[in-house]
Amino acid sequence: MKLSLSWIRDYVAIPENMDLKKLAYDLTMSTVEVEDVEYLADRFEHMVVGVIEEIQAHPNADKLRVCKVDIGGEVKEIVCGGINLREGMRVAVSCPGAIVRWHGEGEPVVIKNSKLRGVESFGMICASDEIGLGDLFPASREAEILDLSAFEVPAGTPLAQALDMDDVLLEIDNKSMTNRPDLWGHYGIAREIGALYDLPLTQIEPYAPDAQADFKVEILDPDRCPRYIGVEMSGVEVKASPYRMQNRIWKAGMRPINALVDITNYAMLATGNPTHAFDADHITDHITVRPAADGEVLTLLNGKELKLCEDDLVIADAKEPVALAGVMGGSKDSILPDTKRVILEVANFESTGIRRTALRYDNRTEASSRYEKAIDPERCGQALSLCLQYFRELYPELKVTGYCDRYVKKLDRAEIDVNLTWLAKRLGKELANEVIRRKLELMGFDVAIDGDNMHVTAPSWRSTGDISMKDDVMEEVARMYGYDHFEATEFTTTFTGSINQKDQDLLRHIKEYLAIRCGMQEVYTYPWMSDVFVDALLPGREGVLKLSTPPAPDLSCIRSSLLPNLCEAVVKNERYFNDFSLFEEAQVFFDGNYSSPYDESESLPQQSRHIGGAFASSKKDITELFRETKGVLAYMPRYTHMESFTFRKEEKPAWADDVVWLNVFLGEERIGDMGLLAKKISMECGVKNLSVMLFELDATKLVPLKSRTNRFAHLAEYPETDYDISMLFEPDATWTDIYDAILGKKKASSLLKEAAFVDEYRGKQVPAGKKSVTIRLTIGSEEKTLTSQEIEAAAEQVMKKLRKAMGAELRTQ
Amino acid sequence: MKERINGILSEVKTKIAAAASESELQSVKSAYIGKQGALSLLMKELPGLAAELRPQIGSVLNQAKNQVTELVESKRTELKLKASEVSPDFDCSVPGILPRQGGLHPITQMCYDLNDTFRSMGFEIFQEDDITSELYAFDKLNFPQNHPARESMDTYWLEGHDSGATCEKLCLRPHLTGGSVRYMQTHKPPYRFVYPGRVYRNETTDAHHERAFFQYEALIVDKDITFTSGKVMIKSILSKVFGTDVPVRMRSGFFPFVEPGFEIDMQCQVCGGKGCSVCKHVGWIEVMPGGSPHPNVLRAAGLDPDEYTGFYVNIGLDRLVMMRYGVDDVRLFHSADLRFLNQFK
Repeated sequence: MKLSLSWIRDYVAIPENMDLKKLAYDLTMSTVEVEDVEYLADRFEHMVVGVIEEIQAHPNADKLRVCKVDIGGEVKEIVCGGINLREGMRVAVSCPGAIVRWHGEGEPVVIKNSKLRGVESFGMICASDEIGLGDLFPASREAEILDLSAFEVPAGTPLAQALDMDDVLLEIDNKSMTNRPDLWGHYGIAREIGALYDLPLTQIEPYAPDAQADFKVEILDPDRCPRYIGVEMSGVEVKASPYRMQNRIWKAGMRPINALVDITNYAMLATGNPTHAFDADHITDHITVRPAADGEVLTLLNGKELKLCEDDLVIADAKEPVALAGVMGGSKDSILPDTKRVILEVANFESTGIRRTALRYDNRTEASSRYEKAIDPERCGQALSLCLQYFRELYPELKVTGYCDRYVKKLDRAEIDVNLTWLAKRLGKELANEVIRRKLELMGFDVAIDGDNMHVTAPSWRSTGDISMKDDVMEEVARMYGYDHFEATEFTTTFTGSINQKDQDLLRHIKEYLAIRCGMQEVYTYPWMSDVFVDALLPGREGVLKLSTPPAPDLSCIRSSLLPNLCEAVVKNERYFNDFSLFEEAQVFFDGNYSSPYDESESLPQQSRHIGGAFASSKKDITELFRETKGVLAYMPRYTHMESFTFRKEEKPAWADDVVWLNVFLGEERIGDMGLLAKKISMECGVKNLSVMLFELDATKLVPLKSRTNRFAHLAEYPETDYDISMLFEPDATWTDIYDAILGKKKASSLLKEAAFVDEYRGKQVPAGKKSVTIRLTIGSEEKTLTSQEIEAAAEQVMKKLRKAMGAELRTQ
Repeated sequence: MKERINGILSEVKTKIAAAASESELQSVKSAYIGKQGALSLLMKELPGLAAELRPQIGSVLNQAKNQVTELVESKRTELKLKASEVSPDFDCSVPGILPRQGGLHPITQMCYDLNDTFRSMGFEIFQEDDITSELYAFDKLNFPQNHPARESMDTYWLEGHDSGATCEKLCLRPHLTGGSVRYMQTHKPPYRFVYPGRVYRNETTDAHHERAFFQYEALIVDKDITFTSGKVMIKSILSKVFGTDVPVRMRSGFFPFVEPGFEIDMQCQVCGGKGCSVCKHVGWIEVMPGGSPHPNVLRAAGLDPDEYTGFYVNIGLDRLVMMRYGVDDVRLFHSADLRFLNQFK
């Protein structure tokens, strides 16, 4: 909202020397956010009113003229292409240094002395849109110069002064005043400034009706229209409003139209209460405020044709709706070019209904945006008074032929009891009763203090919901006293809840393990999944929850698994990387197992927290990638201090390769999967050259340990030796079998400490139908240093065991 | 003879000390104790000496030769240790090798930084589900029935759960505060907790607006808390993030679930409050809303608002991370683009 300081000054005596920066700061700190303080005259710097003394043809251009212009004390030659130039005309001259926009478009440019087609030109004679005044002085055709002849000022008068632009505009963030309907007008802000600085306020004297003639207004829905004042007047006509009114309407960001419309807009911008004028000759019989009939049709002023519903409130005459109440007038019955009699509407409408209607037809207006904040019905009086004042001023012939004030639902002022001890405690500061009283009274509250109780009656303009309880009163006192004047206070209560939050710690440990130890990069993706990846990776859409209004038609499914989005991330990154790993931790959702953990009436779907990862590489072979993925999972419990899990093959995940996959188990419960993304699915996802290994765990199932549980092991007293053996096995022999054979129930040798997988080989070097496995044996004794014969003997025992148990043979080549 | 020997000896000592390289040292060695060296040549003069002098001079000469050998050897060791193992043209300007890839998302990092700060002040960390009901998203937070945020343009409702009573309507949570009510319902006061999480708004996205973004809520509730306690909380957050004390100001603001409500600004860290393009020349940047929980919110959580009050702040993590690193497009956070994420290790 834009406010003119000079307009505000009509209502509150702001001292001439007031520091406007401070005013903006104080308003920002205590009331509303002042986004900008603009000295309007700055826009018209180096611009003056000039009088054209002589016009000559341009020697080199048909469309240009060379004007001799008196700019106050000196006459300058200015080249101009305006079509309405005449001698004696007052024009706006931009002297060198002024900032204009060529033909009202593009970037601002600084005026310089220049030559136009060979003729020296001092500055520029301007069209209205070139100096940002297109809305205030609309041009009727192209290349029309702004004619200021009506402004009887001497040549050389600064333009800002001539056009009453020596003003300051305050720009206020609308969002910061949604809860303050009383501030939506110059008077409201003036009242707030008055309260802030204890300045006297000018009252708008109420209108004393001189005719309560046989004019009738009927209100059929008092809840939605608490008050409606109708004034029927004759002796008016459509003409321009006085410049002062146009100027102010323009400063507030609206366009002047004609006197009849401008008066209603002016009253709204001043008081915050919208008003409207109908052409009385088009209204049949009397005004009725009623709910619309289903399907009733109304064409608005802006040409929109609406099919109304019962939830809309309309102003109607005996025949049909003439306006959408509180939103916009109808095109047939509002002010028309030949209007001679008007009916002025000054009304109050209930906020939520107006909002519903405005949103329903996507038709929010200056009026609806004010009504939907909840205006108090008392304010109608101010708006009426202002309107009538200007109608009388502009139309001396005016006659009020009918008047009706239907005030069907009076507003009760809010009354609140505030305990003063409570107030002091909440404020953290004891303020004298008189200080509190004064702060509140300045804002229009009535205050009665009796012992520890303060009885507060809010003013009508704060009683539409804004002030309703003692906390509201506390806020009023605190903000008027100034938030800057309250020191920060430490809080002292001690808590232990934070000391051992194992679940929270576990999640963080896992993420740090994956990122820092395993070299994976954490990513965030949206909770919705793209249909392509859903169809490729998930077994079906059963149990998948969907959004009613998704960000895009193919993004309606919200995730039941992290893998579709991880695969999408892999595809995106393949353009730039050929060996990388990603993980994500986020919630997944399942349409089922509904429960009510907090409120019985509520029913929430199953939601769990998952951790998923992807290893993608075009450089590593499948075994390497598989071992990397499995290693990350296998060592996770140890590094993050949680109960250990195991790998088994029980049920192949839908997305996995036929062979390369494992289920992850915690005890007997399956808590996740890992495996190679099947080639076919990988192609459906759009992966080009990468092999992709995926895993996903249900983190809500993981169990943190009370503390670390691995035990200290004594250091070996005598040296231990690593001894590699390579043996040939059947191709389906597994490492688990090999390990069990030599270190299972019965150790192959009492000197064998550990056996580790080194690598596996199939190919030319080994006989067909066999594979070679290299095993690293750790051999040692607790009693002595072993001789090489003893070490070899131990290794021989291991080989013998493998020969016997698995038919393995020593690899000879 | 003795004098000559001593003369040669002191000469050789100076030369050994002065030798700067192995080759210089070698030439000194051969000049004195080599076959044609000065001391070796003296040896050849021995037979010409008086017989009674020969043994004495001979032993002096031998001692001198041994001494030279020792000096040369010790100088050689000294030279060896002094020298580099590589040639002098070793290029120290070659770049270091990047440590192993991998890292936490910058928002996770910021979140953990804040968690650490708040934990040290005794705050518990709380986490809740992303799907909630309109009951908790709006009703319990004192949002009027017709509040614009309730309409579908702002909230992602779930298909098949988007009509009926507010307890039946489900959505992706539009903010965290409803979850705070859940915490309060299930815990005994006093409270002191933080609640990080992702929230969702059905909005058009651009460099400053996202459909999914992160909030960090902090709440204290107790019997004797004034709204000014909030200042302590805010200062802790900002000093952790920026590493220095950041001036803050609280000004009047309106949110349905707080009373009184504040907009909290911090001094612009780019210009130090003087005014610059980042802070739109006001010297302050809006960072978070805050305030005392509205009595209706406390009631919804089962508390008596006459007895309990508190302070709440809700900080936009995305904005804070953007300020910390100068990121200029919020959409990068959900891009999963490694070229972006690799910068925050």
